[in-house]
Amino acid sequence: MRLQGFGRLRTRLLVLYAGLFAAALISLAAVAQTIIRQNAEEMVRAELAANGSVYDRLWALRTRSLKTSAAMLARDFGFRDAVASADEPTIRSALTNVRKRAGATEAFMVDMDGGASGTPGALADAVAAVPFALENGRSDAVVCVEGAAYRLVLSPIMAPMQIGWVVFAVKLDGAEMDMLERLSAIPLRATIVQRTAAGWRAADDHEIGGEEIDRLIEQSTHRRAMATLNLSSGRAFATAKPLAGVGPEPVAAILIRYPLIDALAPYRSLQIGIALAGLIGLLLVVLASRRLAQSIARPIAALDAAARALEEGTHSRVEVEGRDEIGRLAASFNRMADGIQDRENRISHLAFHDTLTGLPNRAYFRQALDQAIASGERNRHQVAVLCLDLDRFKDVNDTLGHPVGDALLQQLGRRLTGLSPDGMVARLGGDEFAIILSGQVDVDRPRALAQAIMDAMRQPLDADQHQIAGDVSIGIAVAPNDGSDADALMKSADLALYRAKQDGRGVFRFFEPELDAAARRRRQVELDLRDAIRLGHFELHYQPVLDLKNNRVGALEALLRWRHPERGLVLPSDFIGIAEDSGLIIAIGEWVLHEACREARRWPAHVRVAVNVSPLQFRNSGFPAIVMQALAASGLPPERLEIEITESVFLEGEEAVVALLHRLRSMGIRIALDDFGTGYSSLSYLRGFPFDKIKIDRSFVTDVARDAGSAAIVRAIVHLAKALGMDITAEGVEDAAQLSRLRGEGCDNIQGYLFSRPVSSSEVDALIGTRMEDAA
Amino acid sequence: MRTFLHAGLLLTALIAPAAAEAATLSFQVRGPGGQPLPGAVVTVEVAGGAAAPVRGPYVMEQRDIQFQPHVLIVPVGASVSFPNRDRVRHHVYSFSRPKRLDLPLYGRDETHSVTFDQPGVVALGCNIHDAMSAFVFVTATPFVAQSGADGRVTLAQVPAGSATVRVWHPSIRARGNSMAQAFTVTAADLASTLTVR
Repeated sequence: MRLQGFGRLRTRLLVLYAGLFAAALISLAAVAQTIIRQNAEEMVRAELAANGSVYDRLWALRTRSLKTSAAMLARDFGFRDAVASADEPTIRSALTNVRKRAGATEAFMVDMDGGASGTPGALADAVAAVPFALENGRSDAVVCVEGAAYRLVLSPIMAPMQIGWVVFAVKLDGAEMDMLERLSAIPLRATIVQRTAAGWRAADDHEIGGEEIDRLIEQSTHRRAMATLNLSSGRAFATAKPLAGVGPEPVAAILIRYPLIDALAPYRSLQIGIALAGLIGLLLVVLASRRLAQSIARPIAALDAAARALEEGTHSRVEVEGRDEIGRLAASFNRMADGIQDRENRISHLAFHDTLTGLPNRAYFRQALDQAIASGERNRHQVAVLCLDLDRFKDVNDTLGHPVGDALLQQLGRRLTGLSPDGMVARLGGDEFAIILSGQVDVDRPRALAQAIMDAMRQPLDADQHQIAGDVSIGIAVAPNDGSDADALMKSADLALYRAKQDGRGVFRFFEPELDAAARRRRQVELDLRDAIRLGHFELHYQPVLDLKNNRVGALEALLRWRHPERGLVLPSDFIGIAEDSGLIIAIGEWVLHEACREARRWPAHVRVAVNVSPLQFRNSGFPAIVMQALAASGLPPERLEIEITESVFLEGEEAVVALLHRLRSMGIRIALDDFGTGYSSLSYLRGFPFDKIKIDRSFVTDVARDAGSAAIVRAIVHLAKALGMDITAEGVEDAAQLSRLRGEGCDNIQGYLFSRPVSSSEVDALIGTRMEDAA
Repeated sequence: MRTFLHAGLLLTALIAPAAAEAATLSFQVRGPGGQPLPGAVVTVEVAGGAAAPVRGPYVMEQRDIQFQPHVLIVPVGASVSFPNRDRVRHHVYSFSRPKRLDLPLYGRDETHSVTFDQPGVVALGCNIHDAMSAFVFVTATPFVAQSGADGRVTLAQVPAGSATVRVWHPSIRARGNSMAQAFTVTAADLASTLTVR
């Protein structure tokens, strides 16, 4: 597992620096330790050598002092007298006296015959022989008696010829060594070692002994030597001073030791100092490294954080510090972040604004509305939405071209923005605009704004050098009453707009709950329509078209009826609009075609069937195929099918419609132009396509008998049709006066209650058999 | 330990015909290394020999912080004066068995007289001046002489008979700093070498 902290640059730098320094410190400390040890050892050697010399001098001083004392006694007149006269008690008392004064262990007088005066014993016996055995010129020696070493100092007694010797014996014991130790400048340990059969041994220190010491003493006989002893009490440097016996060979030696632990003691404080300095240094380096690491890592961490923030979409900048690489990196980063921000702003502006007008688009509007509603909920404010629609904008586009339409929209946008400084104007698409009024708005403000817009629209808009009078319809909805969220409020505003358009355009309407209810009804109807298609609730009724020339039924117009399970028979006017809005008209129209052809197949051959086709249905690209299928499935000859269209199919573009009509015509199908004379009737259509039949709108037929104008129009249409070789059918013929008038005008076919209401398919056969005279 | 007191007197005799009942004895004294030993006192004791006559005066001066002479040979019973010729005072003493003497501080031209009535070597010292040393050789026999620079000693008119020749010198490492050798004096003159240790 990777340590999380180690992933951080700062930690890595810190560990690297501190680790390096610690390693350096440890090396230094090791070197220092070695140097100290070497130094200590050298110093110890030097000191030991120096102290060895000091010991030699001390030894010599002590010897001289003893000799002086001995000589003083030897020269004393009374003592000499006593010796010469062998006055033993006097000699003894004098020896005792001077022994105490000189600090000697024992004092003897040895006469020329080898007799020793003094404390008798083994020492006295040994001493008695020494003066005669001693080499010429020597006046001191070390003897070992009964395991103890004694230093002997001799002084001859001259009277004036030699008559004996004064011999002082000093026991070389711990006390004597302590005295030496005290005189030394450094903490030395002095021990007397004696030659034994097994080597050199100390009488009172069992630690001392072994080859090291034997070798050391042997070397020391010739010159000063030094050795390191590994004693049980620790390592020690040692030097030895061999002490000559009666002969030249040493019989004892002073071993001077300097324990290493004592030697190193003065360096303890130095070592502690080095360790302490090292620790403090390490601490400082850790702190300094931390600071350095932070100073390096902090800007990088800031960059890291800023980059992550940028990644998450937040605009972020880094404080630029210094002019080093990191500073330049930070500056570059800031430029990059600014660039990204700029581009993002542009992109989001594009995403949230309409390119044509520069106004917020639907998405932006949605968001703004959401926010406004949420804010309004919190602050108990109203939020009003005004939905605007430019009436008949499509006509402008169609007639004046898109550039003019675009200019019109731009103009409208500017005008709306100018009128509602307190609101947000958005273009939702096409000619749809919307305004949000939120915040502390007056209750009457939506109405006032709508009225202001209406008033302003009386002035024509100047669009691409065209003066266009564009009326707008406005639907207004106010949250929270008319909808608690953006969708609901928009739906309410749309319903209000729909209502305004229904109410004759150029007006504004507030949303009312009934609108919603109506909308709900429409929705229910739509659902029911789907059920109807699925369950076959539709049926066709047929209204005959009477052929006046042959005086028989020439055709039957199929009329759709919806037998609703609850509402009973529903007329097309109540649901075709909804079917068109919902697109269900395609499916319904297909069913109608199939059903009409199927029924017509059993009719007499001279009876055609006429089927109304809505513009929506007609524009559907699959329409010719549906027609073909219906004919093929029923086996009805194409010339017995008559498609009735209204002029509104041409609104979507004449050429395509004409092409389609030709295609249908080429299949043998007859095409009739329905409701001629109303709407956007244009004679150019008649020229553009040779319809088989024109159906005169019932509004002219109704007044044909009473109104000369209507009669004139009917006459003109009949003449026009005949001139173009088209049949004429008059719709809505309800009485005989109308019939006779129409007949007089040359009308070929009539349709209406005068002859027959629409009947169910079961009644068709009987109807075909009747003649006009029978019916009338 | 008496090893060096056993030192023998090596006597190499060259007997020569001499006058009846008396002979002249000449010795050469040599040290341990064979070199001639000057200043050695050689005595020959003859059994039944006459005592040495006292003639006098016998003087042991103290001059220049030295005894003068170094060795004074006197017969038994001789009286020796100790005149002080120095400006300083001296304190002459002797712990020697033949004559213990102690002449407390005396000054210039002061004289002490001491009679030596026992034969033997009396070692003299000055208690003030350790370096001062001298010997009074008190002899009972008249046949006594000190070796010269060549170590030679000649003794005349030594009666024949058994005798003991004795050499004394402070450097001789033997009891009494002397070595003795018994020999027989014939009518013939004798020349001999005495080697001491």
